Amino acid sequence: MRFTLNKRSRGVAVTAAAIASVAALVGCSASSADNGATDGDVSGKITIWTWDAPGDGLKAAIPAFQELYPDVEIDVQDVGNPAIWEKITTGMAAGGSGLPDVLNIGIDYMGNYVEKFPGELVDLRDFGADKLADEFPSGAWKSGSGADGAVYGIPYEVNATGFFYRTDIFEQAGVDIDSIETWDQLLEAGVTIKEKTGVNLYNQDKAATAADSAGLWQLLTALQGSFYFDEKGEITMNDEAGVHALELIKKANDLGIVGDEQGSWDTLLASLRGETDVAIMPSGGWMAGVMENEAPDMAGNWGVRLPPAVEAGGITAAVNGGTYLSIPTESKNQRTAWEFVNFALGTLEGQKVVYDGGGMFPGYKPMLESEGFAEPSEYFNGQSPNAIFIAELAQDTPVVNFTSDYARALKALTDAQTRVLLSGADPQDALDEAAEQVAQQTNRKLASD
Amino acid sequence: MRRCDPPAHPLTKRPNVNALLETIDERPATDRRRPPSRRRRSSIGHPRLTPYLFLLPTILLFLAFKLYPYLSAFWVSLTQNVGGVTAFVGLDNYIRLAQDPLFYTALGNTVLILVVQVPLMLALGIVLSVAFNSMLLKWRAFWRTTYFVPIVMGLVAYGILFRALFDSGDGIVNEMLGVIGIGPIPWLVDPFWAKISIVLAMTWHYTGQNAIIYLAQLQSIPGELYEAAQVDGANGWQRFWNITMPGLKPALLLTVILSTIGTLQLFDEPYVLTNGGPDNATLTIGMYLYQNGFRYFDFGYASAIGYALTLIIAVISLIQFRLFKEKTR
Repeated sequence: MRFTLNKRSRGVAVTAAAIASVAALVGCSASSADNGATDGDVSGKITIWTWDAPGDGLKAAIPAFQELYPDVEIDVQDVGNPAIWEKITTGMAAGGSGLPDVLNIGIDYMGNYVEKFPGELVDLRDFGADKLADEFPSGAWKSGSGADGAVYGIPYEVNATGFFYRTDIFEQAGVDIDSIETWDQLLEAGVTIKEKTGVNLYNQDKAATAADSAGLWQLLTALQGSFYFDEKGEITMNDEAGVHALELIKKANDLGIVGDEQGSWDTLLASLRGETDVAIMPSGGWMAGVMENEAPDMAGNWGVRLPPAVEAGGITAAVNGGTYLSIPTESKNQRTAWEFVNFALGTLEGQKVVYDGGGMFPGYKPMLESEGFAEPSEYFNGQSPNAIFIAELAQDTPVVNFTSDYARALKALTDAQTRVLLSGADPQDALDEAAEQVAQQTNRKLASD
Repeated sequence: MRRCDPPAHPLTKRPNVNALLETIDERPATDRRRPPSRRRRSSIGHPRLTPYLFLLPTILLFLAFKLYPYLSAFWVSLTQNVGGVTAFVGLDNYIRLAQDPLFYTALGNTVLILVVQVPLMLALGIVLSVAFNSMLLKWRAFWRTTYFVPIVMGLVAYGILFRALFDSGDGIVNEMLGVIGIGPIPWLVDPFWAKISIVLAMTWHYTGQNAIIYLAQLQSIPGELYEAAQVDGANGWQRFWNITMPGLKPALLLTVILSTIGTLQLFDEPYVLTNGGPDNATLTIGMYLYQNGFRYFDFGYASAIGYALTLIIAVISLIQFRLFKEKTR
């Protein structure tokens, strides 16, 4: 998955990806068959597939849950990201055999699993999940639901875009970050920063051979209210917004203020720790927690704010991925699985332990409004990242329609961007070509036709 | 000197040819044994069950793990997943394949890597095997082992190793080239150099294996031939060209065909090194199949690619068999 891939496992992306093929082969070793509990009881054993940081959050919820239901045993398995997607695919392709009782699914995979493998995920309305709908941001809730309103996943992480910047570098270059309102101004500031300090505005995996590097394009396009697809599922990646986004990326590159760096967890950590300097780092909101944990020495040197708009006065908020907890229909212990999911995500008590354990930005409104959640952070010079993210989620951002063909569109976009950055292709031509390729592969219509 | 004529040494050569060819003969052993058994059966007058009972495990395994997947994949290649429902679409996937520019990109990349890498690797393998076989080389066992080690190296370790070697920033290869004033070369991030990186990695990985196969074949060439040639006044090059090379022919056929099939199915190296990029410069048919199956969940199309690849491999292997046969005649 592309969004949460950023998060934890890019550093081991090669390893994890290679293990994925092995994991796919042994995908039938999970234990959903050996728990004796029937649908009615909350007891027995449940298994959860997730990966490192979200897994830490869920593990933290186990003791509190067991106080309510002492007979329940919970096995949180760190399958690894992106290995987990192929493992889930294999299980679903095999009619659900081998899948655990709870799946942690990325927003960009959700539509695909629901559409390609219908009936593999439990409609959580059976357990009354629709009652929770009002407690979550509607966009995040919708992306986890089917067109008919069926609820396939409860939002676990809901990420707004975190626009992080290095306060020390901006200061050294004499640029006032607060005065920057648009990306054009930001690029001008980037030139000044490069001249004064020699630091690149940001780094990018231009060849995109290590990982997809479409995050910036997606952010810039989202800030103009567009995406790869519109709500009807037609292809919009080569619309005005998409082309303008790629033009900005090209402009930054041509100005010589963009470093080239393989996308990996290690290079990301190096940037966070100031080992390779960058002036800004637009990312998911989860990055705030990662910074505090992984780069404690940089306290005070990182700041966070809303992303600048693309057009003056335009949108300054963008949703940056998220994940869900779902229950496969093959689970023999659905009732227990649901009770755990409901406890972890649908109660304030559960949300608090999960947040303390893993630091994933929650979507549960009572949690967001709870005392101390939006407290100023010392690490960020007294700014409150959470308050900024809450403000972003409150802005009226368009519902992002990932469709079942997101992976294809992402690949086509990445290739187009590589052509622009490495071979000097024209953004409009490159995106037209990409859009046509997606249309040819998926039989989707181009919105421009 | 007289040409080394293969049939003149039936004892040393023939069994080897057959043994090697048998390894690439996909027919089950039962097919080949049919004539004698039929003769026996007719003399007794009723079919004998015992041999089939003994073969039953093999037959069952073959049906379950070979024939069934083949047929099932073919069936899948005729279907499409539309809105979650698997629908029979006839040859639609194949028609789409014939019009898919990315498939042709993948095919072109694969053939290009094949044409450059296989001859390079096999030539290197022959040179190595001759060196390994030479009486002049000390610690031969050590050298043979060293060159064979890459074969047993796991994909993950291999990927991490080559990514570190070929890193365009501070990779070891670029640092060393920098010392002699070359570079830096954008190994994995430039469309051209990414292909070169793949070729180099594959050569490193598989040359030893081929050298070992050649070495086995070399050791079956009788030493008298070399002695006789030497007495006749042949120099080293003439001995190599007129004794070693003809003697290697069965092993050559084997390695050419195996390497061709292996390269046409190429997946590991682009997967771990370049992810098929940049901009599909190292997208191979194997990678494209994988992307469609496991990234896009388009199993019907992936299966169609698989069958197209099988067809391509079958045709090329047939041509290679023919060419080698004509040369032998």
